[in-house]
Amino acid sequence: MSPRTRRILFYFGAAGLVTILAWGVLGLPAYGQYQGPYGDLVSYAAVQSRHATDVVSAVNFDIRAIDTLGEEFILFTSVMGVVLLLRKRVEPKDVDEAAADVATGREKEPPSNAVRLLCLGLVGVSVLFGLYIVTHGQLTPGGGFQGGVVLATVPLLVYLAADVRVLHQIAPRKLVDAGEALAAGAFIGLGLVAVALQEPFLTNFLPLGTTGRIDSSGTIMAISIVTGIEVGGAFVVLLSSFLAETLERIPEEHRGEP
Amino acid sequence: MTASAWTPAPVALPLLAAAAVALFGHKVPRFVRTVIAFATSAFTAIVTAGLAWASLGDPIVYWFGDWAPRGQIPLGVCFVVDPIGAGLAALASVLVTAAVTFADRYFDDVQAVFHVLMLAFLGAIAGFCLTGDLFNLFVFFELMSAAAFALCGYKSREPGPLQGAINFGVTNTIGGFLVLDGLTLLYGRTGALNLAQIARTLGGAHDGLVIAAFALITCGFFVKAAVVPLHFWLPDAHAVAPTPVSVVFSGVMVECGVYAVARLYATVFAPSFAGFVPHARGLIIGAGVITALVGGVMCLAQRHLKRLLAFSTVAHVGVMVSGIGLLDARAFGGVATYVLGHGLVKSSLFLTAGMYLHRLRSVDELELRGRGGALPGALFLAGGLALAGAPPFGTFGGESEIEAAADSLGYGWLGIVFTIAAILTAGAVLRAAMRISFGWGPSDGEEDRGERSEETETRPGPGLPLAMWVPAAVLLALAFVLGTLTGLDRALRESALRFQDSSAYAARVLDGVVSAVPSAEPSADDGSSLPRSLLVVVLSCATAFAALFRERIPAGVRKLAVALLGGALRRLRALQSGHVGDYVTWLVLGVACFGALSALLLR
Repeated sequence: MSPRTRRILFYFGAAGLVTILAWGVLGLPAYGQYQGPYGDLVSYAAVQSRHATDVVSAVNFDIRAIDTLGEEFILFTSVMGVVLLLRKRVEPKDVDEAAADVATGREKEPPSNAVRLLCLGLVGVSVLFGLYIVTHGQLTPGGGFQGGVVLATVPLLVYLAADVRVLHQIAPRKLVDAGEALAAGAFIGLGLVAVALQEPFLTNFLPLGTTGRIDSSGTIMAISIVTGIEVGGAFVVLLSSFLAETLERIPEEHRGEP
Repeated sequence: MTASAWTPAPVALPLLAAAAVALFGHKVPRFVRTVIAFATSAFTAIVTAGLAWASLGDPIVYWFGDWAPRGQIPLGVCFVVDPIGAGLAALASVLVTAAVTFADRYFDDVQAVFHVLMLAFLGAIAGFCLTGDLFNLFVFFELMSAAAFALCGYKSREPGPLQGAINFGVTNTIGGFLVLDGLTLLYGRTGALNLAQIARTLGGAHDGLVIAAFALITCGFFVKAAVVPLHFWLPDAHAVAPTPVSVVFSGVMVECGVYAVARLYATVFAPSFAGFVPHARGLIIGAGVITALVGGVMCLAQRHLKRLLAFSTVAHVGVMVSGIGLLDARAFGGVATYVLGHGLVKSSLFLTAGMYLHRLRSVDELELRGRGGALPGALFLAGGLALAGAPPFGTFGGESEIEAAADSLGYGWLGIVFTIAAILTAGAVLRAAMRISFGWGPSDGEEDRGERSEETETRPGPGLPLAMWVPAAVLLALAFVLGTLTGLDRALRESALRFQDSSAYAARVLDGVVSAVPSAEPSADDGSSLPRSLLVVVLSCATAFAALFRERIPAGVRKLAVALLGGALRRLRALQSGHVGDYVTWLVLGVACFGALSALLLR
């Protein structure tokens, strides 16, 4: 198919698809006319039966926790896939390929003092902020997914301020890999504890505490924390895989001094 | 422990094992990893089969986190286990068990990732088959896809194989978006994600939103099911995926797409389209028939064994989609039997192709001519006969049931389409089997233009390892035994009756009302399907012989055949261009056509 034919055919199809979508959207309730009882019921149930003031976290880590388990494993599996696809080549012929693929522009310029200062200054703040978001998901907007991403920026800031070796010192790949897998398993483990207590999988089995206090809402906080570790670990694995892909193709003599 | 307490196990155990293998898999010998993966998937097979058994009389409804409905409004997520969903999950577990056994000799370089991905894939399929919640279905659909993309690109050392994985990833991600769009529309209207709750809130509403949601969700799952013209990714993905991965792709992943379409139509959309049953039948059966014929013709034209088997999967999906398109419990029970039989037989055939690749370093039919050993040859021949629907393999019983249902509904001509598809696909497999085992036929020919190369996957070794041929033989034997089990088709038909009853489903899930076991008539097996299936077997063999000894066919007949099929084949081949832009264009056009036809027919 020539690019021109393809484009014309695609526009026809896309126009049809948009028409169908528009037809469907026209059938939605008008703006502000939400009818479903779900939102009201969930807001009530989250606070009353789970002592969680952030309803979104209550939905994510308790009411629909099985969805979150699936989503966490989507991230886990995708990162495995990236690691697999970017794996180091082992055949001798690939060594030649790598040598031919030398690009001096890929090496990182030493960071300026301004960048160093800014990044190092942000490291402490980011650690604190990430931990806060992960641990306060049951009270205020946030939770494991958002906090995990904030925490994962810390090694990135360190990489920007220094170089990849320091990154590997503060976040050793083996430790991150193990932490990620352990956290993914711990989510299921928390669900299975409930089964051992003769409750359905992923039932909230910890004491619910006082609404509004940090130790409230039972397993919601526990699941939020393991999710935070998993998400943070996953992003660090991604970062270090992409960096390894780029940097390991540069032979030793081209590599700049840190 | 009651049976229902085991409901989360088919999801939780494989995912837990995946995390465990990721944690310490690289510290233990590969044998240990294989044992863990084998034990987990085999145990999951037992649990899912047990759940299918336990739910025969009454579906198991399992609310996660103890969030049972409050005043008939469900807040949480539930699994609704019935024998059809649990049976599909059991099939997936059996195939993953066979695949990880076969793969024991595979992949020396990447430590544990293969087992992690296979186990995550299994957990995803189990959740997909058991869930009673639309968004949960989508989550497991995406998890299944994420694992499948990575598994497909496993041999990504060359840019070529990577392209197949990219085509797979791009097209199936668009399929995921379509499902998400439809899901959003339904949620926006009903404020519900639970299937039973959506159905009850819609209350048979019939307007643009419902039709658009139906078209989008159905097409999204049709991408996974490889329905023409959304199928282009499938042969490319199968050709580049490692053999054990092709097994689970063809044997169960594609069928999951068919399952989801049937599940959502029966549970959510059926009341809305109750006045339009003949139109809905025409729409879905039309898609099925085109798929069956295109897959069959392309199958016969391949020389790359895995591509050949992949196109035969397209043809068989056509039969399955036509079967569910009849919107009839009997046909649906037949499809369930057919999926089981086909999954086992097709997987055995893929494993046999993998044995050729291991022993003879090729999956090219012409290159392998006369070089095949006795054991793979026998397995390939038997698999070909089973694919033709030779009794008593499960494919035979399933196809007879679908045809009987089609006859009684006035769609008797579907039998002819199924026969053509069976003859073309089984003919192709038998042709390849005879050429490889007996060295019959010329070493060049019409198949010449197809793809041929395949990267090897194993280190060459003497002989054929037990871990390779035993799984293939066991799968074939299982397909044989399942076909002889009297009572299986009856149980599946009773489950199908229940499956089709939208209001009983909603009453069971939301109100806990247990309905009486529907009693299915014992299949009216008057023996009329037996001669027909023998005829198909004979005609498949004849097709194979005609392809092998085409020089001896009178020139006039040959010219006629070329005139009839040559042009169509050339065009079909040209469409399978390997260019992802082309595939996306056909996908979007196909969805637009399906949507337009839905709008015209179901309005």
